Amino acid sequence: MPQIVPPYLLDRIADAGAERFPLAAEAARRSLLHDAPRRALRGAPPIMPLPRDDDELPTVLPDAPSTPDRRISDAGGRETLPGRLVRREDEPATGDESVDDAYDGLGDTHRLFDRVFGRDSIDGAGMPLEATVHFGRRYDNAFWDGERMVFGDGDGEVFRGFTDSLSVIGHELAHGVTEHTAGLRYQGQSGALNEHVSDAFGALVEQYALGQDAGAATWLIGEGIFTDEVEGRALRSMIEPGTAYDDDVLGRDPQPDHMRDYIDTADDNGGVHLNSGIPNRAFALAARELDGFAWEHVGRIWYDALTSGRLGRDATFAEFAAETVRTAEARFGAGSREARAVERGWQAVGVPGEPSEQAAGAAAE
Amino acid sequence: MDVIVQRSGGLAGARLTWEVRVDEQPDPDEWYILIEEIPWGEPPPVPPEPDRFVYRIECPPNEATLAERQLTGPWRQLVDRVQEATDPKRNAPLPGDPREASRRRPTR
Ligand SMILES: [Zn+2]
Repeated sequence: MPQIVPPYLLDRIADAGAERFPLAAEAARRSLLHDAPRRALRGAPPIMPLPRDDDELPTVLPDAPSTPDRRISDAGGRETLPGRLVRREDEPATGDESVDDAYDGLGDTHRLFDRVFGRDSIDGAGMPLEATVHFGRRYDNAFWDGERMVFGDGDGEVFRGFTDSLSVIGHELAHGVTEHTAGLRYQGQSGALNEHVSDAFGALVEQYALGQDAGAATWLIGEGIFTDEVEGRALRSMIEPGTAYDDDVLGRDPQPDHMRDYIDTADDNGGVHLNSGIPNRAFALAARELDGFAWEHVGRIWYDALTSGRLGRDATFAEFAAETVRTAEARFGAGSREARAVERGWQAVGVPGEPSEQAAGAAAE
Repeated sequence: MDVIVQRSGGLAGARLTWEVRVDEQPDPDEWYILIEEIPWGEPPPVPPEPDRFVYRIECPPNEATLAERQLTGPWRQLVDRVQEATDPKRNAPLPGDPREASRRRPTR
């Protein structure tokens, strides 16, 4: 298929046009979908992708509507929550980029959970999605406070505003989902798993909104968060942890990509944002091996594990891995390529996925 | 006397450290008065808020770890003061990370 519309425009149409131009957005997504494998190639000769059969299309279309109840507040540069309510569901855009990006990003995230996993909002019962933007002065962070997502504007030197990245918005909302499901304790290995789950669903929200398959996806978290001054692509790379940035001011991405480099530290609730690189890579490797839409296989498997009720709040990497192998087998069959890809992903990062090996995994912490 | 404030966690997982020599400040007496007011001893643990900053404040022989929302009153005043007095070092090496051993530590 000759490409008339450049990919970046397709991205924009697919991403931003969904509300006003659902058909154009869907068309752009299909087009991206077809072009994606070719665009992802580096140095290899271009290959025309085969046309997809209809039954290869997602079982649920990316722009199927969902009905979030969004409430965006403005902290006006103070550190007081919730701030002033400035945009409710179905209200028009405010013209404040942070407010409107948060509104759109929460809509994209709600749509993934609702249309793909059948979960209506954070609690599965349609709870309002509340966010506060413009929190603090030059505030270099975004967080989940147990009730709402909170976004700073960044310092303007290293970080731009934290609503600039859809994967970051998805990441924060996913903390709410984890809190309402597996409740992974935010400390040590279970805390790194909590972080990992947020990165995984943050990446899936972005892929779903763009109609990207696993091969075309960047697997970056927080792309576009850094200013142009920073030598870096994103906050984290799920597929290549430790390579997202390397900058004179910021230092180097400290994430390990294998269990042998697991970092023991008291900081950061026991290195939750560091060691999450290990399960992140297992997830991205499995998704890449399976290709196709990650939300349809690894996303589904991870969501099943998160909601199975079998994970302890203090789950270790090995226990979580074993549960994902179990949910892969339950959904796709023992010996299925999905189950094998998940097992191989964990093996590649040195995490034993068999329940019998859990003891060894825990001892190696 | 030194005051060291270390901020870890946050969505980016970056670590910043501010270090101030109180005796080299233009107003050391005010620093000492403020440090006297600090209710040293570990504050009660609070449930962690995902991605929120964690502060470790050292002022030998005292030290304490606080969640960001526990930074109130004299704690907040001390941290504000430290952050105004000096620029932070970013991502100081982590113990046990062999990749970091030979790296130049940029300051800011
Ligand atoms: Zn997080």
